[in-house]
Amino acid sequence: MPGIDECLLETMRLPGARGAALVDWTSGLALGTVGDPPGGDHETAAAEAAELARLAAEQHAFGPTDGTDTGDPPVEDVILSNRDSYHVLRFVPTSFDSSVFLYLWLARADGNLALARIRLGEMAERLVLG
Amino acid sequence: MTVVDSPPPRLPVRDRATAHQRAGAGVSPMLTRLAEERATGVLDREHGTLHLAEGRVVHAESPLAPGLDEFLTAHGTLAAEDWRDAEDSGDGGRLLRHGVTPGALELAQASALYDAAYFALAPSSTPGRFRYGTAHWLASVHPVPVAALERETLRRRALLRRIWPDPATDGAPLIRAAPVAAPAVPPRQAAVLEQVDGVRRAADIARELGRPTFHTLVHLRRLAAAGLVSPQPPPPVLDVPPEAADPYVALLKRVRDALEAL
Repeated sequence: MPGIDECLLETMRLPGARGAALVDWTSGLALGTVGDPPGGDHETAAAEAAELARLAAEQHAFGPTDGTDTGDPPVEDVILSNRDSYHVLRFVPTSFDSSVFLYLWLARADGNLALARIRLGEMAERLVLG
Repeated sequence: MTVVDSPPPRLPVRDRATAHQRAGAGVSPMLTRLAEERATGVLDREHGTLHLAEGRVVHAESPLAPGLDEFLTAHGTLAAEDWRDAEDSGDGGRLLRHGVTPGALELAQASALYDAAYFALAPSSTPGRFRYGTAHWLASVHPVPVAALERETLRRRALLRRIWPDPATDGAPLIRAAPVAAPAVPPRQAAVLEQVDGVRRAADIARELGRPTFHTLVHLRRLAAAGLVSPQPPPPVLDVPPEAADPYVALLKRVRDALEAL
């Protein structure tokens, strides 16, 4: 798969997708954004989602229990729901120790959370592995 | 002899109400002007270099930030000789042929660009110099508009201030401190903490780990806020009052410094 924008545009093809971004969770920077911004502003949304991602990634309790995990972070994704939408954060594993995640904002009425979760996982992998 | 009794002309005074607005308008007025004229070339500033193509920032370098090559080679994504091969030929396509995917290249280049630009755009004591020229060989990977880069740089400064307002850990050699009650340290911060040895500075630690320096600054400010890391104090003063060694006094001093810096 080509670059960041193509990956985000493909994310937007998911049913119910309202907006998507690639965000660095250490700095809170949105490296790319498409669609509508949750809360009205992509940069603010990215910084706030980054805080959530960081908390999830850093807590020991959220890691797997089998003790064999060496993943960084040990968490795969974070799913947050409200009355009308889902927010799905999918961590992107990279070979160069970066701290980024894909962020999808999904309408609850037309979105399929299970499908979105699977597709985001595939896209996170293809973004860096090709 | 004529006596001049008219008062001297008033010295020009900056209007304080608009001064703040002006300062907030741009991190570097020169860079804003270059963006407006869609310039291509290299802007040298005190702490780093920005490469422009058609008025957009396409690459950045700073002695304080690891380069794209260091990100890619530090973790084995790319072999060092493959990087040299691509750089010597000035062909970004060669990186892709050496196994770096377009997504990974763009991700690493964007990280390196924002990281080096943060330092290049830091307040400087000398004026910047622009040389018109040709675009950088990686110009097409991830161009960033000047306004977005300046906004992000200001946001990053505010982020560091919010985590811990004392900037001392950004540039000084660092030492580990022993707080009264050490909190648990998340893995990424722990990796930074392990590198703190009394000699290394933030930029050295970033190089060692192959991570952006700004990310290391973030981790160090969190560690400083937790009382786990502090800047190397200046050369020892002989008449140190005995209470300076008391951890509670050290804690109170840090709280006082933080409150004063707010």
